[in-house]
This record gives sequence, structure tokens and C-alpha cells, in this order.
Amino acid sequence: MGLIPNGMKRSDLHEASQMNEMKVNNSFLNTVSGWHISGDNVMIEQMPIFGGYAGGAEETAICDVATTLATFAAFNGDIHLDGPIHIRWGNTTAKDTIRVAAHVACAMDYNTDVLLANQYYTVSGSGTEMCLLETAAQAIADTASGRELLSGVACSRGVAENRTTGLEARMMGEASSAICGTDVETTNKILNRLIDQYENKFATAPPGKTFPELYDIDRSVPCDEYLAVYEKALATISKCGLDF
Amino acid sequence: MAATRPLTVTDVYERFVKGKKVPESEWDYTIIPQNLTALKEKYHIDFGDEIVPEDPEVKDALFQAGLEMLVETGFYCQDLGRVMKVTEEEVWEGIKKTPKKLILGEGRDIARFYPRQGNSPVKPIIQGGPTGSPVSEDMFIKIMQSYAQEAVIDDLVDGVMNTVEGKPSKSGTPYEIRATMQELRMTKEARTRAGRPGLGV
Repeated sequence: MGLIPNGMKRSDLHEASQMNEMKVNNSFLNTVSGWHISGDNVMIEQMPIFGGYAGGAEETAICDVATTLATFAAFNGDIHLDGPIHIRWGNTTAKDTIRVAAHVACAMDYNTDVLLANQYYTVSGSGTEMCLLETAAQAIADTASGRELLSGVACSRGVAENRTTGLEARMMGEASSAICGTDVETTNKILNRLIDQYENKFATAPPGKTFPELYDIDRSVPCDEYLAVYEKALATISKCGLDF
Repeated sequence: MAATRPLTVTDVYERFVKGKKVPESEWDYTIIPQNLTALKEKYHIDFGDEIVPEDPEVKDALFQAGLEMLVETGFYCQDLGRVMKVTEEEVWEGIKKTPKKLILGEGRDIARFYPRQGNSPVKPIIQGGPTGSPVSEDMFIKIMQSYAQEAVIDDLVDGVMNTVEGKPSKSGTPYEIRATMQELRMTKEARTRAGRPGLGV
């Protein structure tokens, strides 16, 4: 039964964010305290900045582990939502940020059994092959490193209006399912080939199209043009070694 | 069933109130970078070229460094300008008492959430949505419906509605909560149109 008609239910994920780096404020404490007392599922987010206050990959990852532990030890979180983000490109799909997230998830997974999530911010826009490749690469790494929930996709760095669709999330799920159970060595080979397909294109990333341009908005289903782009992305990923 | 955590958020707040006062700029530009660099050197952490690590020693060193970072450096409260700390025992106890199984959503649309170990053959929960990206009022239901209709999706995450009844949903104004409540109503409608009314958000 919902607590408020048309509001959030206990079984929904109530999400609050820590601040960069290793900081919170009173509003955060107040919010999570209320949710925890109410018995809600609480997901606490932190997106450490690669190249920010923390510095390089290893330092960002140490900070990321510390903030993940704080979610469970200090802030009564039930799930930690990660999202190491690149200071130059504003995405989570760069090789450096995927590497940070994968190392952190493996470190946590090796030492604990807490629930870990990661979120998706691509540089390129919805409707482009590059966006689907960025998404697939992160989904492969997140799945192989033991994460329990993948959340996305915020295309165009999550700042452009109406430039996200269900099809990017389909890729997140399909790439994740396809890599499940694969050994780490094979996974890393696939990842290197796949990330090479897009990483040198961040500066000229295509903006893509809006939802009404990509979908039949009467039925909320993707148009043939976007489905063709999706099929092309699947073929490219398959050539990198992932069997769908 | 969830266990009582070793620290409540009010315990943590009390620690912040009694904690050491530190200028925020010192925290950001000196304490955080210096301590992280020192721990990287202490634990000899070097990722090399590997994206997903295989070596248990690499995983363990990173975990120990992160644990020490939290215990020795603590956390900063921006409003109070103070630092609070937790002990290593409290961290382990917090992990132990965090639920490892959750159910998202309701009825036939529930998603069961439990730990995967390594690259388990069981796929993660797929939470689909704009993940905080801006969405216009007129497209909100249709965009959320596009996620709810995807078979691979187990759970939804909202976008952020730019306006509510034509007014900007500016943070810190009453339009913010009004827009949030409208997002939830519209997401409910999107789930219903997709035939998955119990999907979690």
C-alpha cells in the first residue's frame, strides 16, 4: 500500500545524493533519516569526479570505496549508486571512469555482499550508434565486476531535453545479459576493442535526435530508422567479441 | 528482515556537531587530495591497463585503502563546516546489518534484488529511465512509457520535468515538489499504459 496516493511506495527506491568529495549537508541527513525511519528502500548516490578534487584513477577509486562504505556505515543506505564521472567529458563511459567503477565494484564485491548500482551518462546523443556503444561498454564492465543494478541511460551527459529513450536502456540490458558469466580476461579484451570504437570521438560526439524524432509517439515505440541504428550497434559489438 | 544499524543518522549528526571545524576549501583542496595520494602510495595501488581487475590483491588493497580513508579522514558536513568519523568496527557492523535482499515494485511486476558474486550468470537489475535528464511536460508520459515497455527493464528511474503547468520547476521553490509529484503521477500512468502498473521507481 502506498504511503501517499500517487506518491512513492516503500518498495520504490528513494534516492539521495552525497556531495563531492566525501561531503554531505543537513538536507541530505534530514531526508535519508526520514526515509529510513519510514522503512523505505534507500539508495544513496555519489558520483566521484575523475580529475577533480580526488585526482587520478586510483585516488578517485579510493574515494569511491570510502563513500560507498559511508552509505552503509553512516547514512543507513540500503543500496549505493555509483557513477564516477570524467571531469573533461562529463560522462561515465570513458575508459578511465569505467576502470574506476570496475575496480571499486570488484573491491567491494570481494570484501562484502552489499548491493551496488551504477548509473550511465554518455557523451553522444540518443539515436546514435556511438551512444549505444558507450552504453554497452559500461554495461559489460558493470556486470562483469559484480554490480547488482544498472541505471540509465542519461544520453548527452544528461543535460539535453527529451534526448533519452527506452532503446538505450534496452542496450544496457542486452549487453549486460550477454556478458553474464564471461571470464575476466575475455571481458577485458571485448572492452578494449569496444571502447576503442568511440573513445577518440568524444570531442566530436554526435548530438543525436529527440524522442519525437526517434519514436512513434502514439505508441512509444522506436521507429525503423532508430532500430536500424540499434542493429548496426549490435553488429559492431559482436565484432568486438560479444555474442548476443 | 532489516536489522538495526549500529549508527542512526541522528548519531552521525551529533558527531558532526561535535566534530572538528575545518574550512571547506581546506577539505576540498588539501585534506582530500593529500590523504588519497598518501593511501595510494601506502597500499601500492596501480591499476595499469586492466579495466576489470582479476588479481585479488589489487581488489583487497583498494578496499583497505578506501576503508582507511573513511575511518581516518571521515566525512564533512557542508552546513556545519565540521568533520565526523566512524570506526572500522562500525563500518563492518554497518555492512553486516545492511539488508542483502530487497524487493522493488509490487504485484506481478516485482524485481528481486540480491547480491551477485563476481560475474554471476544472473543478470543485474536493469533500471531504465532518463536518469535525471530533463524531460518536457508534454513528453513525460510517452518517454517513461518507452522504458516501461522494454521487456529487459525491471525497474524505472525518472527524468526531471523541466516545467509544471508551464512554470519552471526551479529547485527550492514550491514548483519543485509540485513537479516531483506530477512526475510520479505521470510515471504511474506510463506504467499502466505499458501494462506493468507495479513496476518500481
